[in-house]
Amino acid sequence: MRRPGTAAAMAAGMVFGALTLAGCGGPDSGASGSSGTSGASGSSGAELSVSSAYMPQPVSASMAAGFLTIANTGGAKDELTSVTSDIAGSVTVHETVGTSMQEVTSLDVPAHGRLVFESGGNHLMFEKLKHRPTQGQKVAVVLHFAESGPVTVEIPVKSATYNPKTGH
Amino acid sequence: MRKKTFAAAALLAAATLTLSACGSGDKAEGPVTVVSEETSQQAATVLDQPFEKPDLVLTDTRGKSYDLRKETAGRPTLIYFGYTNCPDICPLTMNNLAVAKKQLSKADQDELRIVFVTTDPERDTPAALGAWLKGIDPQVVGLTGDFATIQAGARSVGITVEAPHKDKNGKTVSTHGTQVIAFSPKTDAGYLVYSDQATVDDYTKDLPKIVKGQNP
Repeated sequence: MRRPGTAAAMAAGMVFGALTLAGCGGPDSGASGSSGTSGASGSSGAELSVSSAYMPQPVSASMAAGFLTIANTGGAKDELTSVTSDIAGSVTVHETVGTSMQEVTSLDVPAHGRLVFESGGNHLMFEKLKHRPTQGQKVAVVLHFAESGPVTVEIPVKSATYNPKTGH
Repeated sequence: MRKKTFAAAALLAAATLTLSACGSGDKAEGPVTVVSEETSQQAATVLDQPFEKPDLVLTDTRGKSYDLRKETAGRPTLIYFGYTNCPDICPLTMNNLAVAKKQLSKADQDELRIVFVTTDPERDTPAALGAWLKGIDPQVVGLTGDFATIQAGARSVGITVEAPHKDKNGKTVSTHGTQVIAFSPKTDAGYLVYSDQATVDDYTKDLPKIVKGQNP
């Protein structure tokens, strides 16, 4: 008796997951198009692409957060090892553990999987910015990987209260 | 068994809705609309047993002593515990509140008290708090003081915050609350809890009720 129920629940979960993946990228997430894929890796390696990038307009130039999704359609995993940006004195990668942020040295981009940075979860932390990014601007960052070549992403600056689920 | 199947169906329906909500095609038909009403649930959790307002006497952004209970007595009050060196949830939460507040009448805006209590008092001096809040909404009350006092105040409304500590690189790691608590002007009790999933729209919808001490 238990099995069919569990299967149904799992199926539903999978559908839900798939749709979340389709998400609300839509025409609004400008970075997906401008980032391109990393062509540096071999045919059997990781195949990376970046989408759904945004930066909520920060309160000041001292700190900002960035969010994006790195998809890997390749058959090998890769690792995001660092992020650089001309606009910031430092960009660090953080994961949220409970209600505190922990800096990490790298994060996996699994084969046929995704590495997701989203509000409340993983995020890029920009510190010591040269100026305060404002809505409508773009912030260029370079993602560095263990295997693939660097990927440049133009992260659009959205409103301070931007919600990717609603797109505004 | 029945129940499980139903839950799965509901989840599926919700998933379908999520998809359609993002698209531009407006093909919502009868059944979908019904689900839509169910999924656009209240952001607020109404507490059966409201919290007493934390008994906090701290320092405001001008460096003056601020007695939370005395200063906010009889006023609709929203309290959040966070810190300014927080890139994600703290500014998002505060901006959500600030943007929603601007939809209120001027009189209601002046009546409402939004209080940001730092969980990182060492770095969040009155000046640092003031500068940060100015970038969000200068009307927000920013409070700092002794961490143990703040922690106890947070705990009294069900919010756990840890003392800031240094990670192995010497960087300070702080914690923030995830909830916003709304206090009624009628009872001064904390009767609503919002999670960090609450959006501008949620607060915009609920603030007019909160100002009157009503349930959203």
